[in-house]
Amino acid sequence: MPSPAELAWLIPVLPLLGAALVGLGLISFNRTVNRLRKPVALLLISCVGAAAVLSYAVLAEQLAGAGSTEVLFNWASAGAFTLEMGFRVDALGAVMLALVTTIAVLVMVYSDGYMAHDKGYVRFFTYLALFSSSMLGLVISPNLLQIYVFWELVGMCSYLLVGFWYDRDGAANAAQKAFVVNRVGDFGLLLGILGLFWATGSFGFEDIGLRLQDAIASGTVSNGIAVLLCLLVFMGPMAKSAQFPLHVWLPDAMEGPTPISALIHAATMVAAGVFLVARLQPVYAPFPEVQVVVAVIGTITLFLGASIALTQMDLKKGLAYSTVSQLGYMMLAMGCGAPVAGMFHLVTHAFFKAMLFLGSGSVIHAMEEVVGHEPVLAQDMRLMGGLRKHMPITSSTFFIGCVAISGIPPLAGFWSKDEILGQAFGSFPVLWAAGFITAGMTAFYMFRLYFLTFEGSFRGNDKAIQAQLMAAAGKSSEEHGDDHGHAHAEHPHESGWQMAMPLAVLAVPSVLVGLLGVPWNSRFGYLLDPHEAAEVAEHFSWGEFLPLAGASVTISVVGISVAVLAYALRKIDLGTAVAARFPTINAFLANKWYLDAINDKLFVQGSRKLARSVLEVDSKVVDGVVNLTGLVTLGSGEGLKYFETGRAQFYALIVFGGVIALVVLFGALG
Amino acid sequence: MPLDFATTLASSAAFPWLSASILFPIAAALCIPFFPDQGDGKQVRWFALGVALITFLLTVGGYLNGYDPSNPDLQLVEKVSWLPDLGLAWSVGADGLSMPLILLTSFITALAVLAAWPVSFKPKLFYFLLLAMDGGQIAVFAVQDMLLFFLAWELELIPVYLLLAIWGGKKRQYAATKFILYTAGSSLFILLAGLAMAFFGGHVSFDYSELMAKGFPLKFQLLAYAGLLIAFGVKLPIVPLHTWLPDAHGEATAPVHMLLAGILLKMGGYALLRFNCQILPDAHAVFAPLLVVLGVVNIIYAALTSFAQRNLKRKIAYSSISHMGFVLIGIGSFSALGSSGAMLQMISHGLIGASLFFLVGATYDRTHTLQLDEMGGVGQKMRKMFALWTVCSLASLALPGMSGFVSELMVFVGFATDDAYTLPFRVAVDGLAAIGVILTPVYLLSMLREIFYGQEKAELVGHTNLVDAEPREIYIIGCLLVPIIGIGLYPRLMTDSYKASMEVLVARNEQAMKALTAPAGSGLIRQTPFQAPSLS
Repeated sequence: MPSPAELAWLIPVLPLLGAALVGLGLISFNRTVNRLRKPVALLLISCVGAAAVLSYAVLAEQLAGAGSTEVLFNWASAGAFTLEMGFRVDALGAVMLALVTTIAVLVMVYSDGYMAHDKGYVRFFTYLALFSSSMLGLVISPNLLQIYVFWELVGMCSYLLVGFWYDRDGAANAAQKAFVVNRVGDFGLLLGILGLFWATGSFGFEDIGLRLQDAIASGTVSNGIAVLLCLLVFMGPMAKSAQFPLHVWLPDAMEGPTPISALIHAATMVAAGVFLVARLQPVYAPFPEVQVVVAVIGTITLFLGASIALTQMDLKKGLAYSTVSQLGYMMLAMGCGAPVAGMFHLVTHAFFKAMLFLGSGSVIHAMEEVVGHEPVLAQDMRLMGGLRKHMPITSSTFFIGCVAISGIPPLAGFWSKDEILGQAFGSFPVLWAAGFITAGMTAFYMFRLYFLTFEGSFRGNDKAIQAQLMAAAGKSSEEHGDDHGHAHAEHPHESGWQMAMPLAVLAVPSVLVGLLGVPWNSRFGYLLDPHEAAEVAEHFSWGEFLPLAGASVTISVVGISVAVLAYALRKIDLGTAVAARFPTINAFLANKWYLDAINDKLFVQGSRKLARSVLEVDSKVVDGVVNLTGLVTLGSGEGLKYFETGRAQFYALIVFGGVIALVVLFGALG
Repeated sequence: MPLDFATTLASSAAFPWLSASILFPIAAALCIPFFPDQGDGKQVRWFALGVALITFLLTVGGYLNGYDPSNPDLQLVEKVSWLPDLGLAWSVGADGLSMPLILLTSFITALAVLAAWPVSFKPKLFYFLLLAMDGGQIAVFAVQDMLLFFLAWELELIPVYLLLAIWGGKKRQYAATKFILYTAGSSLFILLAGLAMAFFGGHVSFDYSELMAKGFPLKFQLLAYAGLLIAFGVKLPIVPLHTWLPDAHGEATAPVHMLLAGILLKMGGYALLRFNCQILPDAHAVFAPLLVVLGVVNIIYAALTSFAQRNLKRKIAYSSISHMGFVLIGIGSFSALGSSGAMLQMISHGLIGASLFFLVGATYDRTHTLQLDEMGGVGQKMRKMFALWTVCSLASLALPGMSGFVSELMVFVGFATDDAYTLPFRVAVDGLAAIGVILTPVYLLSMLREIFYGQEKAELVGHTNLVDAEPREIYIIGCLLVPIIGIGLYPRLMTDSYKASMEVLVARNEQAMKALTAPAGSGLIRQTPFQAPSLS
């Protein structure tokens, strides 16, 4: 009987088989398969479910102390080189397997409700299964090369899913932007991988780490080049995990259906970058320069995300910038040489942010009943308010998520974020300060979202605001006149069980999972890195822990209080008190630090212009020379005219005949 | 002149797989004029399909029965003396350089016949030309005699010219003329170089193996190499010799497209490997850095022009040029991995290019326009077509799991670890080629976005009948996707079939490169003195 670890290759293969089967069905028997909604959903959920069961078995085995398993086979070879593929199961991978499959199953169940009325229901489930498969493949990859393979595949799934509603221009643009920005990161990743392979002759994580040090020691590779290679590789995680300045695709990616935002753009795929950096710790750890860059990029990102989130009026965009910010925290942990802390935050964040996104989906779903299928209206918080009365499960789970992300003990976010801040305090006090202030901002903007959405009175039927929003988005109110046909309710309703159940299930780990990582007895730490965890537990002192933790909690409480005063009690009007007084800062934040504008001017327009001028050269100069010489040799175009009458085959006949004549001639002479 | 096929073939006991797969489609094509047909092509197309399939089976039969992939030497050899005084012989055979391309040719041609199903204008002539091309192209890859090669190379021009000139688009005469002028002009170089090589030394011979054994002096090699590079550079094509291609592709119909992109461009790559690398190794050692630089230019230049193109066919045509850049870099590398990557890129592009061009044709049948500005939102009516387009575009932008990724990766890794070149040169080449990795999705995804995404264009929907993909079309793409994905998942399926020959070839080139004293660009581009691989 093979052990779960030996069967781990089945974990990505099962969803892939399901997706391939349904995909083939869709292309060959489109109508029939599209009608089999529930059977298809059931099949694919069971595929991912089976993968989940296997993942838990693998995790249990790791918890029981099994070592790592690695299986490789020769994938391609030429000359002395072989490229190997295979799979590897260890504690880090097992945690990710369990996390990804859990959230994937819950999101699939949720999607059954959320996508119930969508004509692309079956296609959506196929993409979901395909994504799960690619993500799980990434997690069990034994080397950088295979990571790159699945890295691209999850990017493709993200492209397909962001552009799922392909008749919307916004979705189409966002999908393309996501893919291209990620390719920019992959450009660096690919070159970095090639460089590391050149320097070490290996794609394996530990091998590269060891051999790179040997190569530096023996002088074949200089320290500077090694650092450069590490940073090139880091471009991949920067794009995938939405780190500044390659984060620009993630907020736009919210054009995809909300379950996708929860699964891909909050819990799993965007965490892949953090996961890769954790995997690369053996390579990165010996280079303090690399660690500093990672930490600084993480800090810029966490601050940038939180600052932009302050002014967002779109519920999903607010959550998206919050995700950017939290990914920054994880990257900061990696830069501080604390991968366990970063991975712990990855896990806790995956639970509560998936829950928050699914909650926002539930809200949007309910809002669509009132304002119609128009994202500009259904996602804007200016039209929400007072939803708590109508949607008790959604509002209470959303509240739990807000408390968790704000870092209030004993909920999950407190333990993981506090550990990161503690590590940062030890390594880079300046970066800690930024992270600390951002923690306050986080609490503020999350509760701002909560109060604007769920408290106060419902504003969804206010036609004046609707018209104003549509005008601001540059769409005419009539344009979505048909959509108003779907708007049939006066006020929103709580979503069905398929959507409420995953919310309730995710609330449990959002509250409790942090307790697995308490600093004096971190079970999570023991699993990933027993040595370090034992050391941490040994050196733990309440005298060090309490002041830092106390400070974190205090600034969170301050943030929450401001949000309460401003949006629940309406005691202070931030609009006039802050925004009006500092219009530059407000505009700066509302325009997302102007990064999109710069991006558009510099890269999008720039590359278009360059391409157009190259084409101009091609058609005028290169082809022009050809046509001109053609004319000259053929006697001012007379010959060309001759050929254009369609008798050029004579030319070929002449050549052919010439050769034959030659042959005969030689034959006769010989 | 005694042409005693029967006795020679009988003596060789084995079935003449290669001769059969060359001569059978040509002989069958000659029967087409006598084939009873109503004139709408509904009967003759079945005949043509049958012939193309049998030819495909003949090549597969040759591969399975007479070809041992682990043997680097020439196999399936058939040699019939034709003009002994001239050393001319009907000489065919296959090694690792030929065999995969022979299979590719018969495979793509069979699918092209299926793609030509709706052709109703002069169908007999159309299928006649397709089948004649089938045999001619297999001959290009299979013959082992320079004079025969030249004949086959020229013979294949006539069908392409006629297919362009009779069934092409509005500017078909211009495109066909340009094609014939370019290729015929360039084949003069082949003839000259070929004759020079054959007559070099006292002994006149056109046979590849004898040419290899002649040991040309370096100066002679350089001259011949330069001439052949121009000739094959037109075919591949290499920028700036490429301008016939967008015109020819812009006017061709879908099946001709598939053959142009799927097979014709590969003739250039194959010939570069066969003649420039194999017969002129010393000159190759000198010229290799130039090939690499030209490859990088191809990748970036053509990617940019493709991005700016507003005509769908021309856009894909330029993307083909961009992809062939990787072939050049791979050929220019002195590593087995890089050269294997070049070979795989040819096969992979043959499959992917054929599928994309087929889809262009199928889309044009429905939209009646190739201008991207006039399309948009087509995905809502043609969902299956949208799916097929998406898969093939992703294959073309080298998504892992499909063949394009493996071949480009092999070229990247091969070149990065190629100790013949200096580190800065390797970094520059890999870095610039990797920019192609960013540019390819930019133009391909923009293209998808403009055709399929967004709101339907009222004018387009009102004036055209956007029916979704029919089973025949799905079947053709499906057939192409099976090897694309198969190679992507397990590349050894393909690479093992030519690995042995390629390793021998690269080892020889490496020898020649090491023997080179004070080559151009040493120090800057080349490692001096040559260092043995230190790591790995």
